[in-house]
Amino acid sequence: MPREIITLQVGQCGNQIGMEFWKQLCLEHGISKDGILEDFATQGGDRKDVFFYQADDQHYIPRALLIDLEPRVINGIQNSEYRNLYNHENIFVSDHGGGAGNNWASGYHQGKGVEEDIMDMIDREADGSDSLEGFVLCHSIAGGTGSGMGSYLLETLNDRYSKKLVQTYSVFPNQMETSDVVVQPYNSLLTLKRLTLNADCVVVLDNTALNRIAVERLHLSNPTFAQTNSLVSTVMSASTTTLRYPGYMNNDLVGLLASLIPTPRCHFLMTGYTPLTVERQTKNIMVSSYARTKEASQAKYISILNIIQGEVDPTQVHESLQRIRERKLVNFIEWGPASIQVALSRKSPYVQTSHRVSGLMLASHTSIRHLFSKCLSQYEKLRKKQAFLDNYRKFPMFADNDLSEFDESRDVIESLVDEYKACESPDYIKWGMEDPGHVLTGEGNASGTVDPKLAV
Amino acid sequence: MENSSSTISCPSTPRWNSERPFLTGQFHQDTKTTSRFAEAKGLSVDSLSLGSTTAIGCYDAAVQELIVIDDLLSVLVGIEGRYISIKRVRGKEDKFSFQVDASMDLALQELSKRIFPLCESFMLINQFVESRSQFSNGLVNHAFAAALRALLLLLSHLNEWVPCIVFDSRITRPWWHNSNTSFDLEDSPYKACGSTPMMGSMQALSIVIQKASANNFVGSEVLNLLQSQAKAMAGDNAVRSLLEKMAQCASNAYLSILERWVYDGVIDDPYGEFFIAENKTLQKESLTQDYDAKYWRQRYSLKDGIPSFLANIAGTILMTGKYLNVMRECGHHVQVPVSENSKLMSFGTNHHYLECIKSAYDFASGELLNLIKEKYDLLGKLRSIKHYLLLDQGDFLVHFMDIAKDELTKKLDDISVAKLQSLLDLALRTTAAAADPFHEDLTCCVETSSLLKRLGTLDSENSRTVPGGNDLEEPVNVTGLETFSLSYKVRWPLSIVISRKALAKYQLIFRFLFHCKHVDRQLCGAWQVHQGIRTLKMRGTAISRSSLLCRSMLKFINSLLHYLTFEVLEPNWHVMHNRLQTAKSIDEVIQHHDFFLDKCLRECLLLLPELLKKVEKLKSLCLQYAAATQWLISSSIDIPSLEESSDGSNVSEKTKQSKSRSPSHALKLSSSNTNVTDSILKFEKEFNTELQRLGPILSSSSQTEPYLTHLAQCILGVGNEQ
Repeated sequence: MPREIITLQVGQCGNQIGMEFWKQLCLEHGISKDGILEDFATQGGDRKDVFFYQADDQHYIPRALLIDLEPRVINGIQNSEYRNLYNHENIFVSDHGGGAGNNWASGYHQGKGVEEDIMDMIDREADGSDSLEGFVLCHSIAGGTGSGMGSYLLETLNDRYSKKLVQTYSVFPNQMETSDVVVQPYNSLLTLKRLTLNADCVVVLDNTALNRIAVERLHLSNPTFAQTNSLVSTVMSASTTTLRYPGYMNNDLVGLLASLIPTPRCHFLMTGYTPLTVERQTKNIMVSSYARTKEASQAKYISILNIIQGEVDPTQVHESLQRIRERKLVNFIEWGPASIQVALSRKSPYVQTSHRVSGLMLASHTSIRHLFSKCLSQYEKLRKKQAFLDNYRKFPMFADNDLSEFDESRDVIESLVDEYKACESPDYIKWGMEDPGHVLTGEGNASGTVDPKLAV
Repeated sequence: MENSSSTISCPSTPRWNSERPFLTGQFHQDTKTTSRFAEAKGLSVDSLSLGSTTAIGCYDAAVQELIVIDDLLSVLVGIEGRYISIKRVRGKEDKFSFQVDASMDLALQELSKRIFPLCESFMLINQFVESRSQFSNGLVNHAFAAALRALLLLLSHLNEWVPCIVFDSRITRPWWHNSNTSFDLEDSPYKACGSTPMMGSMQALSIVIQKASANNFVGSEVLNLLQSQAKAMAGDNAVRSLLEKMAQCASNAYLSILERWVYDGVIDDPYGEFFIAENKTLQKESLTQDYDAKYWRQRYSLKDGIPSFLANIAGTILMTGKYLNVMRECGHHVQVPVSENSKLMSFGTNHHYLECIKSAYDFASGELLNLIKEKYDLLGKLRSIKHYLLLDQGDFLVHFMDIAKDELTKKLDDISVAKLQSLLDLALRTTAAAADPFHEDLTCCVETSSLLKRLGTLDSENSRTVPGGNDLEEPVNVTGLETFSLSYKVRWPLSIVISRKALAKYQLIFRFLFHCKHVDRQLCGAWQVHQGIRTLKMRGTAISRSSLLCRSMLKFINSLLHYLTFEVLEPNWHVMHNRLQTAKSIDEVIQHHDFFLDKCLRECLLLLPELLKKVEKLKSLCLQYAAATQWLISSSIDIPSLEESSDGSNVSEKTKQSKSRSPSHALKLSSSNTNVTDSILKFEKEFNTELQRLGPILSSSSQTEPYLTHLAQCILGVGNEQ
């Protein structure tokens, strides 16, 4: 089965949104809670094999690895109705079950410890596919397991499967309210470095925005995790629609990402999802936009892909797309033609929704940098106080008061912010080219994670 | 069997028919000229006994009158009298002269002469009847002759009234004044002649006959003649109605042929009178090969000589039978339900026949459309073609290109089509296409020329000229990637709609899309190469430049593909799909389908060679760049560090830490990458120049082809005033 994608769900948040994602996929493909194809699911034309494999006749099993350092969430899954869906060999819970204590360093360190086990699982899963296209990682960047162990996995995957794509769905912490995880800025920063350097594409799921949607749009006064998670799963399933319901274009992950991601590091995508009417399709940056500051008005779209699901008259969509282009309803980069594309995709015939058409926007937008700036500034605040660093010094990476990893990460993020900022100016193409001397020295403080030096 | 429909074999009349003229009325005149004696023997006893030697002048006027009446009665049925002789003008079959014995009473002579035209008409008509009864003259003539014969018969019965006519000098008086008892004329078609002034009617008829025999009219020509003559005589009600009746009778035979065709789809036309010809040499199987779809267009065709009353509806009639035929060829015996009043009785002014034909047509086209749509699932087939040839479900192609990569990059002669086919089958089986019941109809082929060249020959194929003076030179290194194409097995009767030509158009679009996809894939590969080195700090290096170039190229090819699929194929398909739902006949379906293809072909730039060449040039630049990327990137990175990284399988924590601290161990950009920078800049320059050149061409062409503005907006961006 060609172009398979393996999903890794790491940590509490990763497993929760992962579970929602699989629920959604099962619904859309007409697969029962036990992985058996429902009788009504005979229409065909969809590609179940990208995310599932067939164990026997009609039994579909997700190409998913469930990884956590504490058993709570995974036990929850194993006791749920979906317990028979997953391959039990693909579930990893660390022996001690103590979790990572919201400490990135702990997660990272433990990840290293169990690398062999997990890589065995990944290898087995990869062997079971004809031409593996890549990996999808679900995690949050604030906690311990998802961020720390996720980071470690990203680095390892990059080494071992350097030819494969790695896409992540990363939940960013809620920055509006004070978090219960005080070291969240540290964790975020360290994870962001890996996301920048070791992932091909990061779909940013901003908890702040998710909460706001839940409150403002869905009118839930106090949204629960389950509710925000179902939003996430909707986005995740919608963004993989073109892979599962093939259309003219974007039928493989690389094609999908290549058209969206301008330069290797600017690979952070924002998403917007709406049960939309065609007329309103631009007003839908919902999930990942940072607070609309004045600066954000400078922000520009680098590329947009609208995935529209359902029966829609293509001429109508075409016209409204035309209108967006002509009236300049949104800002686009000035240094080159922005890429605006629409993918029309079938809607699952098995899921009944109240709206005929729904749409997902995947966009590369420069305002994402404000999210990173915020992370940086929160980090700076903590770092200045030298707060909570002791927890990190316990682990080898930061042993002997070696905090260079923090500085390095900070640099990477800062340059990322700079690059996004440069994208907003018309002469981005020449960005960094003014100084040829700099080019020739080739002196970059690149931190090598392309190489497999991390392998134990 | 017969190799052409134009030669019609008629049964010949038996020889005795011509050898024994006694069977026909012709005999009376013919024998007269040859043997007077023989004629005398055949005459009645009293004429013999009276003797012909005595001049009529010898008799008393009253006796003369009786003799003249007797003679006239004979002459009226074409037999010479004793004192009135018939002279045939030599060489002219249809000229007669009557001679009256000069000694006859002058008044009687004059009276007789007034009768002569009637006699002449009678003889002419009689002669016509005799000659037209031959098989070879066709059914219409037979029917016409039969009607005339009946008329003549009636006339000869009426001869007994001649005396009173003559004596009353009331020759022009309506017949019915004299007789309405002996014959029941009410329901006979000759009712008309009952109320017709004899002379005028007969003369009008003889004019028609003369014209018909002079031109040797058959079939519809006779009908046309009768009708036009009837129209010309519109002022004379009696004559007109007689002629109309004649036309009516003559057309009966014709209408029954028509009926067979319109209701059964059978040409039952032994004498080739019908206006629809069948070309039996064209087989329905030819549709899958014949570029011109001759079978559909020429298997049945209209001939010359459409009866004028059918002229307006001839096309419909042709279609009706054609549709019925198609259904028969499919093994469905469909017959238009015939009710009493759907019989094609007449073509009178009430236009009943038009309605009948119309309803037959509606039935036939409805049935056929239903058959093709429901049983043969035309839309499903078209959808399936769209999946594959228009890449509507492109995932199979992704897989196919993955597995057939090696085969496709070979030179044309080395490519094994069989291997490609098996790879294609594999790709189809393992992707979403597997759910499509028609996916097995897909075959692949490798054409001999590149797309541009193929398009160059396309026009000449259409205009039937020899492709020469083609300035497109075949690049030497054409590989399977440029010439690969898919084909689709279309079976009767769907081949009516998806003809060879339609399929060829699909293929052209496919080849263009396929190559774009190929370029896209290569660029995606290049993009991945860039992704692989994102850990390097590459701000301000040639690599960042390169990655932006890669993005522009990807953007270009994606925009092109997006335009082709989303802005051209999909909306047009949508429009066609809706039209097909409401189409009333198969010809309408064909028309919509062809329109769709032509529109797509045009909007996909395939008919704009100038523009296409530019696009091809850009695509080839993209391919060159994509091919060079690997080299460009790896040579801008220090080779040793690559090696180091590749064998560092058991790296300890310490190395990792040292790496973090001292970046010199990490990959770094080569210091000698000026060459690389140069070549990247060169690529960038070339690509941008080409892209800029495309702008003016697009905007100038978009004056005439408005859809190009969309393409320009896609590729160049709006308000991007460069």
